[in-house]
Amino acid sequence: MPPPRVACVVVPLFPLAARLRSEPELAGEAVAVFEGNGNAARVVAATRPARRAGIRAGQTLPQARALLPDLLARGRDCESERAAQEALTEVADTFSPRVESAGDGILYFDATGIPVPPGDGDAEVRLGRAVIAAVEKAGLPGRFGIAASKLAARVAAGLPDSPTAVPEGEEARFLAPLPLAKLAPEMELAETLERWGIRSIGELAKLPEGEVASRLGELGRELHATARGIDPRPLEPRLPSPCLSEGMELEWPLVTLEPFLFVGNAALERLVRRLESQGLACRRLEIGLKLDPEGWDARAITLPAPTRDAKTLLTLTRLELEARPPGASVVGFTFTAQPDRPRQAQLSLFGPAALSPDRLATTIARLVALLGAENVGSPRAVDGHRPERFTAVDYSPPPPPRERRPPRTGRGLLAIRVLRPPVELEVIVSPCHPERSEGSLAFRLLSLKSSNGADPEISGTVRVAAGPWSLEDGWWSATPASRDYWDVELAEGGLYRIYRDRASDKWYADGMYD
Amino acid sequence: MAASEALALERLLAGTGFAEKPAGFALLSGPGAKLHVASALPSRQAAVSRLPTGIDPLDRLISGGLPRGRLTELVGRRSSGRFSVVLAALASATSAGEAAALVDRGSYLDPEAAREAGVELERLLWTRPRRVKEALAAAEMLLSTGFALVAVDLGLPPLRGAAPESAWVRLARAAEVERSVLLLATPYRVSGFAAGAVVRMDDARFVWLGGGAAPRLLAGVDSRLSLEREARGSAGGSGILSLTVADSLPCHPEPLASARDRLREESLPSPRSIPALA
Repeated sequence: MPPPRVACVVVPLFPLAARLRSEPELAGEAVAVFEGNGNAARVVAATRPARRAGIRAGQTLPQARALLPDLLARGRDCESERAAQEALTEVADTFSPRVESAGDGILYFDATGIPVPPGDGDAEVRLGRAVIAAVEKAGLPGRFGIAASKLAARVAAGLPDSPTAVPEGEEARFLAPLPLAKLAPEMELAETLERWGIRSIGELAKLPEGEVASRLGELGRELHATARGIDPRPLEPRLPSPCLSEGMELEWPLVTLEPFLFVGNAALERLVRRLESQGLACRRLEIGLKLDPEGWDARAITLPAPTRDAKTLLTLTRLELEARPPGASVVGFTFTAQPDRPRQAQLSLFGPAALSPDRLATTIARLVALLGAENVGSPRAVDGHRPERFTAVDYSPPPPPRERRPPRTGRGLLAIRVLRPPVELEVIVSPCHPERSEGSLAFRLLSLKSSNGADPEISGTVRVAAGPWSLEDGWWSATPASRDYWDVELAEGGLYRIYRDRASDKWYADGMYD
Repeated sequence: MAASEALALERLLAGTGFAEKPAGFALLSGPGAKLHVASALPSRQAAVSRLPTGIDPLDRLISGGLPRGRLTELVGRRSSGRFSVVLAALASATSAGEAAALVDRGSYLDPEAAREAGVELERLLWTRPRRVKEALAAAEMLLSTGFALVAVDLGLPPLRGAAPESAWVRLARAAEVERSVLLLATPYRVSGFAAGAVVRMDDARFVWLGGGAAPRLLAGVDSRLSLEREARGSAGGSGILSLTVADSLPCHPEPLASARDRLREESLPSPRSIPALA
């Protein structure tokens, strides 16, 4: 069994890196991220141009402005940092199944026995370069360290010449010359050790364990073990998240749709990139809007099929927000994608071309947004006798035949356009065949005209009429149908199917032969 | 090229000069032979792949079927058989295993009748826009997805909010890119010069069985087809489209053929002969 190896990835100046990932247009500018409100806000991290001008962590906003009047000040964005941490974790997921997210731009993963990219030089250094490249592709700067313990790996990742690999069994020797502050001890412990004259990790490791434990307690014992390269806590792999989300807290409230869609588009593109990296697609998009001054607007868009098209998701978001505006200005947002496997299709060399599942899903989503879900689908016949009956199901065509087959010969059938809803008519009749009189059927149709405002308009004198024949359906239900049907040719043109509703004694046209 | 050389080449192409010039025979029939008479070269029109509708008179009129990569406009007034042709085209495409879409402005489709006409409903995507503008947008999306046939039925007049001609050009271009059949069924001409072919259906005559003492029954419709326009082809042909009501025939004593003959021979009463409205 190979010896355990733990890799650590650290994103330096994480609050700033997360901000720059959300607003890539700020790259190269003098930017500082602040924590706190108003003039009491203090610098947390600053870009290199800002640091060159003398901006340092801990300075207040007025101090920083005095040094650099053109400084671009941004507040800490918890949403961006959370999304950046998730993205970092997903990068590590592509290298190892056991990943621990420590927050604030730090994560560990089990690097024991994982495959290493081919090339020259040390295998672990090559792995580190590949991890750093993948992290940069996700829009974040990264440093990499690998050792037998989490702490040694983290200290190695904090060194400037990344990637750094600590050979097996060399952890104590690697840590020994480093200052004690690298172990980030509690303030009280740090003061005590300072009084004892302990400056480096090596000096602490040389002290007897029992004596340290009796004087400094459990925390001291743990710190001592850490200084000797022993992990006080093992790697704690996290469960993969069922959803992916991206979001942002805005600098100022947005009241119109276009600026929101501008920033939302970037977030959706990041979301889609993350879905693509995992071979997934979005089945349901949840939109969370943080309102000003308080409140939260949550809504969801269910897609007819999984998609990875950011443009489609943006269009659906636009349509959703246009249909139901949030009612207050927006100061932050979150897009959460419920992932699903995209549909796959096997292409044929000889048969008709199959539709690309991804493109089809995108088109159906856009059609649903344009026409409404009830107006898009695959038609199906329904049992019964009423001509207007129909249903539609989700469109999911069967795969095309493997070999091209000839089209079926046409039957040359006359089709009928079903008028939905039926057009109410005013019909003029004249009595006829008194000797054959059987109540209401003893008449002849003369002319018909649709009621005012009916669409399509039907009007004319009857040239030929055939009928009646009866239809009775659903007599056991609350909406029974009892009708007498005629086929009617009008002198002005047009061949219609009309009926008289026996219950209401009204006339309707429910079809036109065409 | 000298006249004598041209003559020799003509004879070679005609297959008569081999005895005098064996090298010429090798040139024409050997591996990699590339010489053809210019008129025998396949024209662009002949290379157009087509989707037969299964309706013979229409297929004959438009050189074998609906051209792929072009817009075909089908113009017809009420009850001219326009919707029947749309269903026939859908049946043809889906029965060949191809995906088809119907943009049905007005929601006129009867799934039962479509299945009866031979449409494989599983392969058909049915969209029901209310406005012409929505129908155009839906058709463009469907074409860009790669549907083999997109049939757009604009329904019954009036076509409120009709689209500009440039919109139809754009749609025709989308069909050309995806090599899809775009069938546009309208009550009157709308697509202008964007249409690759325009077929008009008019002079509809309705065939009735029976009459008098016998029960009267609708048997079908005869419409006149005329090719008004065909890009890179000759327009001007015509034909008769005969459509039949399927379930009216088996039970009636009068044969359908005799009813159609009677329709052609009889002069139907003019509308003026019908009694005035009360």
